[in-house]
Amino acid sequence: MFEVKALHVYYGKSHIVQGVSLQVGRGEAVGLVGRNGVGKTTTLKAIMGLVRRTEGRVLLGGTDLTRLPAHLRARRGLGYVPEERAVFPAMTVEENLRIGALLLGNVDQGRFLETAYRLFPILKERRLQPAGTLSGGQQKMLALARGLAARPTLLLVDEPSEGLMPLNVELITEALVQATGEGMGVLVVDASFDLLRRACSRLYVMDRGVIVGTYRPDEFRSPDELAATYLGVGA
Amino acid sequence: MDQVLLQLLNGLVVGLSLALVASGLALIFGVLDIVNFAQGDFFMLGGYVLWFTVDRTGNFLLGVVLAAVVVGVAGGLTLLAFLWPLLDRPHALVILATLGLSLIVQQEATNLFGGATRLVQPPIAAQIPLGSVRYPVYNLAIIAAGALILAAGYLFLRYAKYGIWIRAVAQNRSMAAAMGVPVPRVYALAFIASAALAAVAGSLLAPIVAVYPTVGNDVILNAFIIVVAGGMGNFRGAAVVSILLGEVQALGSIHLRPVTVQIIALGLVILLLIVRSRRQSALVRL
Repeated sequence: MFEVKALHVYYGKSHIVQGVSLQVGRGEAVGLVGRNGVGKTTTLKAIMGLVRRTEGRVLLGGTDLTRLPAHLRARRGLGYVPEERAVFPAMTVEENLRIGALLLGNVDQGRFLETAYRLFPILKERRLQPAGTLSGGQQKMLALARGLAARPTLLLVDEPSEGLMPLNVELITEALVQATGEGMGVLVVDASFDLLRRACSRLYVMDRGVIVGTYRPDEFRSPDELAATYLGVGA
Repeated sequence: MDQVLLQLLNGLVVGLSLALVASGLALIFGVLDIVNFAQGDFFMLGGYVLWFTVDRTGNFLLGVVLAAVVVGVAGGLTLLAFLWPLLDRPHALVILATLGLSLIVQQEATNLFGGATRLVQPPIAAQIPLGSVRYPVYNLAIIAAGALILAAGYLFLRYAKYGIWIRAVAQNRSMAAAMGVPVPRVYALAFIASAALAAVAGSLLAPIVAVYPTVGNDVILNAFIIVVAGGMGNFRGAAVVSILLGEVQALGSIHLRPVTVQIIALGLVILLLIVRSRRQSALVRL
């Protein structure tokens, strides 16, 4: 359903992503794991169309997105929740959500807001507050809620659990599980063992710009086993 | 007392026309971090379009509308085309490019219209009594038109789809794109609106300041001071500071020499900057 073929990304003279190919099925969540700096975030950005020099193809449900700019990829069904700077800081929480609904054309804004608030009730309490004044964790939940409520065909999520309290990690894990249950595809970069094991059906391990292995999460019995796998590669 | 009322009104005329120029500057600074030195020339071109239209048709209102449309679309898109290749390049290049465009436009205006000052009669000659003096009704019309346009601009940014998109691009460009906001179209709209705002100010003020190729230079300096003081990229801030500056200059001129007034005004701007930087100014409040 979603497929990336031989993706390459260059920043200046560095060759960051060196031929990544991956697939995500309908209603499937797939994890992308690896050490810091191996190109996971860059891979997500390139899929979204946010970096300039790329090669390779990006296909979503038979549509070739390769030549489209980011905003048209979004309209064809790609969603993106970045790790940092994910919200519009001077807009209120509710405006941030409404702008997500605005792009869906005739979608009912009320239902969009309701979906987001049901996922993360804290957002409803803070709905009239500028998003820039939320804590880092709350900003991440806002961005994830907005990404999920837009119901893209495939959602790209970068480090959703990082810096969150365990209770909130459970909350976002549940939200991802529920979304895949409704047919959404998810490609998630994260390091939380619980999240990966509960939400994902497959894990791609990435090292130095290439994918070095594919695993099922239940092949690992503990966070240490998983970490040993991706820290071990190339070391 | 009549003197004070008179100057209060004059301050509003100056302040609101400055606000139109400055809010346009703030708009494209907010969206693209671009400092546009050609903004004063859009003001000047607006004046010429008005003068030309009034000269040919005698219709003042048509002149104002044409100024906004012609200068807005042609000027805004020319500037965008000029800057498009420079968008992710160092700021100095962008500043030089807008300065260059400003020089070209001024020279072309001189070639086309001559260096002479063109006078335009106000469309309303009536004056109303204000105590012991009489005040031109046309000036009141400028105040009303300026306030109306600024209010409309504010409401547009706050509630209209494209207004919300402009704010989104200003606050977080890549996230806006990733959510499907058509960024190139938003750029074009911001440039057109910005140029149109300056042109409307230039056309409305033509009967008061007259029209000549460098008329924009006198406006642009004040407009920059305002945009900096109002918070770069802040539409509302630019409007408020403009009116404040207009009033300070007008009221000050009752008892003080113009130079002294200008010094006081600049002093106030510096004070404002100090206060602003003490408080948070990290958030763009476009």
